[in-house]
Amino acid sequence: MTATLPKEFSVLEPFAGKWALPTEYERGVERRRSTPAELKAFYDAILPLVPQILKRADKYPIGKIEGVDRDLFYMAMSLVEIAPHIEFYNGSPGVPFAFQEDRMIGVHYKQPD
Amino acid sequence: MNTVPRMPHHDRFPELGTGPVSVEPYISQDYYEKEIEKIYKRDWLCVGRVEEIPKTGDYKVKRLDFANTSALIMRGKDGQIRSFHNVCRHRGNKVVTETGGEETFGNSRAAVVTCRFHGWVYDAKGQLINVPQEDRFSSCFDKSNIGLVPIHTDVWEGFIWINLAETPRQTLREFLGGLVEHYAGYPFHTMTDVHTYYAHINCNWKTGMDAFCEGYHVPTIHAGSLPGLTNMWSDNLLIFGDHRSLSAFSSEANPPTPVGNAANDIFSASIVAKAQDRFALPPGINPTRSNHFGFEETIVFPNLLIQCGGGLWFTHQFWPTSQNSCLWEGKYYLQAPASNSEFWAQRYAVTLQRNAWYEDTATMEDTQRALSSGVLKEMHFMDEEILLRHAYRVIDDRVNSN
Repeated sequence: MTATLPKEFSVLEPFAGKWALPTEYERGVERRRSTPAELKAFYDAILPLVPQILKRADKYPIGKIEGVDRDLFYMAMSLVEIAPHIEFYNGSPGVPFAFQEDRMIGVHYKQPD
Repeated sequence: MNTVPRMPHHDRFPELGTGPVSVEPYISQDYYEKEIEKIYKRDWLCVGRVEEIPKTGDYKVKRLDFANTSALIMRGKDGQIRSFHNVCRHRGNKVVTETGGEETFGNSRAAVVTCRFHGWVYDAKGQLINVPQEDRFSSCFDKSNIGLVPIHTDVWEGFIWINLAETPRQTLREFLGGLVEHYAGYPFHTMTDVHTYYAHINCNWKTGMDAFCEGYHVPTIHAGSLPGLTNMWSDNLLIFGDHRSLSAFSSEANPPTPVGNAANDIFSASIVAKAQDRFALPPGINPTRSNHFGFEETIVFPNLLIQCGGGLWFTHQFWPTSQNSCLWEGKYYLQAPASNSEFWAQRYAVTLQRNAWYEDTATMEDTQRALSSGVLKEMHFMDEEILLRHAYRVIDDRVNSN
């Protein structure tokens, strides 16, 4: 989190510290330690703003988003991480009936997106 | 049984049998050791993609724990990819220190590698080109005779293959047989952005392979992540010697959801999204051009699964480490995104697939423990599990061969 968000995204201000995370690894850890209510609150807040966030992100080359636009994009990436949990898993923070998630390693896990 | 069996796959290949199979190959140490000696140390094994080492001097080290060795795979100044045991000819240290876990990547602009122990330098053809204090070795020391120990290496459709045998019984082309023609024209090389996941799983490598080689499990195991796939079937079963392939179909895509729709509208990158016509498929894959086509599922003997759709493909590989353990690698390949929003959309598809893989791998250790307990002597395969039956047969034939 680098700066205050533009006012059209002010509804996301309370979520930025928790969800503006640069790596898939951090987003997965944050998801698993959240409550179903926390996942749902973030999902509901960011969903309508996704088109504007992606539009701002597309002004930059891939992987070179800067400043508040980068924080917003990282939050949109967190939405990708949690969306199946709201849309398919009834809010469960973990993937139901899954292999232990922390034993599966993504080679790209700790590279900032 | 009260109904007449409907087994169209088995009807075409009656020689594979229809009865229960023994669990012994999944739990026996003796059987495992024979697999290593008679299959893994003799047959061609896929160890990477050419795009992983695109430039002169790029190299990759791939651990091969089943053989207590590692392959150093390097692109030379002539563009050729060669492989060697990652073992210094001096006293056996690893030439390239393996810091990257299962796979280590690096580059040497001069296309040489230097052993960190005493500084011996080898070029990309494996020749020993510099030995510090060479004059302190005896007169019989001749560095032209002690290059890196080579491993037979070849490339097919951008996949890099090695063969640990001193003299492979077949060339790679002979080994692949009809698969070469089957996949001719599939645009692997246009989809090279890869997301790699891996895990050490306490199960036999075949227990893992089996779990990915049939669609019978999908409506139950994947009720969470792939709820659209309640009605799957397979067709166009082809047996290519020790390899096998079929097409998987589904009557439905995943149900529409807000984030799923947003992602799929930007970039269709998932087997559960409709409209996968981003790339044309070769004539042998989905030959009837069915709208219900999901993906081609091909198993290259012994341990590589390739699953190809329109606009995406992925692989699974299970590397044996003991009769009760293996390394699993899942790799999901997509066209490079053209924008940050495409990157975002692709990640939705990859995340959903990753979650499906959490679901797949969830069964494996439980299955292995149960098989190891001795409670079951046999397992049962139904018609959609024909690929498991063929694998069982060709592996067993090889293990029992001389």
